[in-house]
Amino acid sequence: MSFITNAWNFCWDLGVRLFWWGLDLVKFLLDFADNIFLFVAGTVRFVLNWAVTWLGMGEFGNVLVEIAMVVVYLAGILGVIMVSAVVLILAERKIAGFIQLRPGPNRVGPWGMLQTVADVLKLLSKEDIIPRGADRFIFRLAPVLILVPTILAFAVVPFGRGMIAADLNIGIFYLVAVTSLATIPFLIGGWSSNNKYSLLGGMRAVAQMVSYEVPMVFSLLGVVMIVGSLQMSAIVEAQSRVWFVFLQPLAFLIYIIAATAELNRVPFDIPEGESELVAGVYTEYTGMKWALFFLAEYGNLVLVSAVATTLFLGGWHGPLLPGWFWFAAKTSVLIFFFMWIRWTFPRVRVDQLMNLGWKCLVPLSLANIFVTGIGVYLYKSLGW
Amino acid sequence: MNTQEITLNMGPQHPSTHGVFRLILKLDGEVATGGTSVIGYLHRGLEKLAESRTYPQFIPYTDRLDYLASMSNNLAYVQAVEKLMGIEVPERAEYIRVIFAELQRIASHMIGVGTFVMDLGAVTAVFYPFIHREKVIDLFSMTCGGRLTYNYMRIGGVSHDLPWGFVPRLYYFLDYMRTAIDEYHQLVTGNEIFLSRTKGVGIITPEDARSYGLSGPNLRGSGVRYDVRRAFPYGIYDRFEFNVPWGETGDCFDRYMVRVQEMEESVRIIEQAVRDMPEGPVMAANVPKVIKPPAGEVYHSTENPKGELGFYIVSDGSTKPYRIHIRRPSFVNLAVLDKAIIGWKVADVIAILTSLDFVLGEVDG
Amino acid sequence: MYGAGLLKGLAVTLKNLFKKKITEQYPDERPFLDHRWRGMFRLESEACICCGMCVNACPNKAITLEAGKGESNKRVLLRYEINYERCLVCGLCVEACPQNCLRFTREFEKATYHREDVLLDLVKNPNLDAPVSKYADKTTLGEGEA
Repeated sequence: MSFITNAWNFCWDLGVRLFWWGLDLVKFLLDFADNIFLFVAGTVRFVLNWAVTWLGMGEFGNVLVEIAMVVVYLAGILGVIMVSAVVLILAERKIAGFIQLRPGPNRVGPWGMLQTVADVLKLLSKEDIIPRGADRFIFRLAPVLILVPTILAFAVVPFGRGMIAADLNIGIFYLVAVTSLATIPFLIGGWSSNNKYSLLGGMRAVAQMVSYEVPMVFSLLGVVMIVGSLQMSAIVEAQSRVWFVFLQPLAFLIYIIAATAELNRVPFDIPEGESELVAGVYTEYTGMKWALFFLAEYGNLVLVSAVATTLFLGGWHGPLLPGWFWFAAKTSVLIFFFMWIRWTFPRVRVDQLMNLGWKCLVPLSLANIFVTGIGVYLYKSLGW
Repeated sequence: MNTQEITLNMGPQHPSTHGVFRLILKLDGEVATGGTSVIGYLHRGLEKLAESRTYPQFIPYTDRLDYLASMSNNLAYVQAVEKLMGIEVPERAEYIRVIFAELQRIASHMIGVGTFVMDLGAVTAVFYPFIHREKVIDLFSMTCGGRLTYNYMRIGGVSHDLPWGFVPRLYYFLDYMRTAIDEYHQLVTGNEIFLSRTKGVGIITPEDARSYGLSGPNLRGSGVRYDVRRAFPYGIYDRFEFNVPWGETGDCFDRYMVRVQEMEESVRIIEQAVRDMPEGPVMAANVPKVIKPPAGEVYHSTENPKGELGFYIVSDGSTKPYRIHIRRPSFVNLAVLDKAIIGWKVADVIAILTSLDFVLGEVDG
Repeated sequence: MYGAGLLKGLAVTLKNLFKKKITEQYPDERPFLDHRWRGMFRLESEACICCGMCVNACPNKAITLEAGKGESNKRVLLRYEINYERCLVCGLCVEACPQNCLRFTREFEKATYHREDVLLDLVKNPNLDAPVSKYADKTTLGEGEA
């Protein structure tokens, strides 16, 4: 009799222990997954450090390791941009198709997954035409320059817990400064093409992007005032209890609208206005140059969604699953939202665009800053 | 500092001039200060061809005038010849003609409205009307075997009777059409961006509309209530109850709304026609084998989806017409473009151009 | 509320995102061609009485017909060509044929690899295997049937 009770107690005990060990194991695995990229980067750094000490380079060796790590981070970011561009081009076409009651690309590979590969191969094989009378040096320079601000800006985007390439304490300031560089390639591309359509498109692009910088920056200011710091990781930390989209809904809306204008997407795709200006700024670009413009557009799309996720949607916070997974999920939701808007709305006219930017969004964002300031002051003085 | 006007050529190849149409715009910055339309890229000499074809042989050529509204073109020509010869068409054929003309009006306005919204930037808005248009084309191809050029009307009636299974499918289409128009209103008409792009843009005053000879939804959008089906009823249109929609201001939005409302009115007309259609022959019994109208001339006009299509036929008593002149509505409507775009921006020029809804086949003939 | 129209439009597109696709996956699915489809031609040469009504009816003079004398002095069809480059596919020839021997078929894939194949020689290749269209069918089309 007591043998049975003993056996039962033993089994019960064992079961409980296994349960807690199992939970611990799951926690360990989740933690490992959360830090997997840090782990990989750490391993690379360890190997480089060991190589430098083995070669006996001393202080110079440390500097070399730092530079090598920067190259590794750059490779990571480029990987993110390339992979996301490949996926997004297909996603855009599939979503457009589904909204229009057709399947989108579905012949090349299962569900059309190899379509982007086919597109890239096609674009690589196209003839590279430079129109006569075009300013050759600048014409070639524009598509190269357009990717630079995007890659630079990704350096301060926190992809997960501790996964920022450069955690500058002026994070947002650096971001805003770098993204305003994106205007220049449009201007020089439009001018150097020696084509009236491109010129019109380029001028409109500059007007649009410069006007929408202002409300975009102002909407970010509200978040900075609440957090009290420009550092991106601090902003994500401050959202651990409540996301800023609930504290700053107006700023979120203004940011989304201004970002659509910065990206030159419908309803603000006047620089590329397909039915008006054939292809606007991109008219004279063929082959790989055109592909670079589009790569930059999708890179910017990911950047803008990533920044919105970081500042308003809680960054990488989320239960259970690894931080970078939640970051990717939230960014994808925003990207879907941008695509959804693109395939529904018509285009605004140029003067309506300027009206909207200066007469509507700027006062609204200023009002938002005002209200946020009062709110922060009350919060601090009432000691909530 | 001086500013200079630039001349922008929206050439024959352009994503949004519908067909091969060339517009030479003079721009002062963004504002258009003048324009010249250049047409003739699709001229096929149909009026000259008519002089060497017999009267029944010319019917397939009328298909190709406004290729988006072939049935209505057939109808106008056939009724003109019947007027010249004094042929009475049987009742059933008249009702069938009305049903098909109104179905064609729905199909043509689908494209007109869809391409209008597409040129404003909302590409999705052109896919849905094409889906609805497929159903109309299925009905047509069931009856006469063609999908774009029908060659269906004949002098004295129509070529085939309605096939078995046509009427239930037609009723299904009419019910489907109501939900389709509602969905389109939800997607487009209430959209604030669409309203701000089209309201007050490209206003054509009623005086201008009359003096330029506009017709169809362009004229009615400007407030002039002239519809050939009411003013000079042809066929049996005087037996049907329908409203003629018209707009107050004459801007692009009014022309768009007139077209959408005309589609709804066409649904009403088709319902009444199907309800009242009698049995009987579809071809008049006393039509001679060889059509030789008496010497003389006749002008007959009908309400095409694009406007007032008129046929002026001069006969010298032989089997081939001496001269046919076609009053093409798109050709006449296009004349107002050079005036209507002055003072508007480039984006509005495109909107105005598309809201006039012209088809190059008809402009060039 | 300003913006209500925008949201309604978004609702319409979202609803359509999940609807069934209407695309016909050609060439795996073939379209259904109606019974009165106007496609390619087929000719039953033995039934042809060489009256030439089709030649007269054609607006574009696309048909060439050559008849000869056969045994018992009946007319026999020697050559019958339709120049498909000039054909409007209007169907006036099929309507004119009194013997119902020139008819349409329910085909639509008419592209050929060589320019010479566009000229249809209906005595050599009468195209009798393709599904027949009932356009201008004088046997059944009296009763308003399909």
